[in-house]
Amino acid sequence: MDPVQILFILIYLLTILITATKIVPMSVAALIGALLTVWFGLLYDVFGYEEALGFIDMKLIFLLLGVMIVVEVAERSGLFRFGALYAVKISRGNPTLLFVSVCVVAAAVSVFLSDPTAMLLIAAAMATITKLLRYDPVPYFVSAMVMINLGGTSTLIGSVSNMIIGLQAGFSFTAFIEYLALCELALWALTIFVLYMLFKSRLGEKKELPEYNPWESVKDKKFFYRSILILILLVVLFLTLENLGVGAEAVALGCAIIALALSNSDPADIFKKLDWETIFFIAGFMFVVGGLESTGLLNDISTQLFQTVGQSPLGASIATLWASGLASGAVSNIAVALTFSPIISGVAALNSAAVWSALVLGTNLGGAMTPLSGAVMMMGIGALKREGISLSFAEFTKVGVITSLVQLGFASIYLIVRFNLWV
Amino acid sequence: MGVNKLVRKWIESREKKPESEYEEAKRQFEMAIGQPFITLKLEIPAGFEEFSNEFRKLENDYQFQEEVKDLIKKRLLLASRLKKST
Repeated sequence: MDPVQILFILIYLLTILITATKIVPMSVAALIGALLTVWFGLLYDVFGYEEALGFIDMKLIFLLLGVMIVVEVAERSGLFRFGALYAVKISRGNPTLLFVSVCVVAAAVSVFLSDPTAMLLIAAAMATITKLLRYDPVPYFVSAMVMINLGGTSTLIGSVSNMIIGLQAGFSFTAFIEYLALCELALWALTIFVLYMLFKSRLGEKKELPEYNPWESVKDKKFFYRSILILILLVVLFLTLENLGVGAEAVALGCAIIALALSNSDPADIFKKLDWETIFFIAGFMFVVGGLESTGLLNDISTQLFQTVGQSPLGASIATLWASGLASGAVSNIAVALTFSPIISGVAALNSAAVWSALVLGTNLGGAMTPLSGAVMMMGIGALKREGISLSFAEFTKVGVITSLVQLGFASIYLIVRFNLWV
Repeated sequence: MGVNKLVRKWIESREKKPESEYEEAKRQFEMAIGQPFITLKLEIPAGFEEFSNEFRKLENDYQFQEEVKDLIKKRLLLASRLKKST
């Protein structure tokens, strides 16, 4: 390893460390990493200025912006709040039914909403209903955190890490569903069962739920129906246009323009609400990974990995699943996806649907292992604290580790069966 | 400061969404399924400016909230009697 490679590894580790410890916001951490990468890259002639500009994948940025705008418009209509209210209503005060419906809705809304936004919605619903029925909020909050992390694993727009991997792997919206939808549905059922077994003694007794009509929470029914149409349009266009060669980013941006045109909201207000922190984090981190790639280091890792497990599709897939899963438990899964993607695409033998699917599953499933694994856990624990409940690090980690290990174990079996890896 | 406190402080510093957004989302659910509630904005009475610190503390004073609830009960009972008499 030459000194320049060591320097770029140090920049990468420094960026990860600052991001994880949150000394500065994660976007600033990644931009500091980007600045150091470009500075030293140009100084030591690792790459040229034009090459550095190419580190940013504009397709990914456009895809993110498009999806964020569509979802922001849909959220303003009260569509997702309506779903949460309906889930509570159908439970009729039965704690088991409430628990299952909350888990399903938490995972379902996170297919579209960003994880922190989904957590905000579900936490608000749970705080209200558990207070009203005098239930222990911990089982409902913790289960919602785990399910929100799981939701959207099998769709291109289900999480930021999926968008990163999807564009790198060349996975279309349909390919994601084809490879992973069955696995995600099975994981929903399995995870709900595990969470139920962990919490069944704390769910509470059946109580009378007050009569209410979820429709009363919808202020503008026309806008509500328009939002449903926009989301259906987004999915239909992804399914059809991608087959005609139109990129996912173009579909997302097209839908965003339609959503803005049909929305009653001020576009400036919508733009202000987008998750710029994530967008700038990705942009900055792309430079850091791009710099590492230019030194030839990621290629060396790919070659090494190929020699170790690459000749065995089973070994490569399982190693990718567990390595990315455990790494996502410790650092942002966006950083894990951005780092692993060039390593996998660097070696043709590793570049298979099974290995990419393993990376998708690993980055998604590892994100709820400890309270430090992601923003959702922080938010859920923060919301519980505001309700007067102090959830210890160990209490969440126990549930997080058990569910993550069960999920990763199941995903290993799924990959072996789905892609005939034992052959 | 203990390790637990340090970890908790660190966790709290990493929360993304501001408290106001959570409170607003919760308010909307409470309006839909929770107990009805009202939010009042009360200014310090004229001539009592020197008690501004004590006045601010009333917002989180449990005893004060109970006294306001008693006042609301009396007011609602009075409204009920007036309704019956007419």
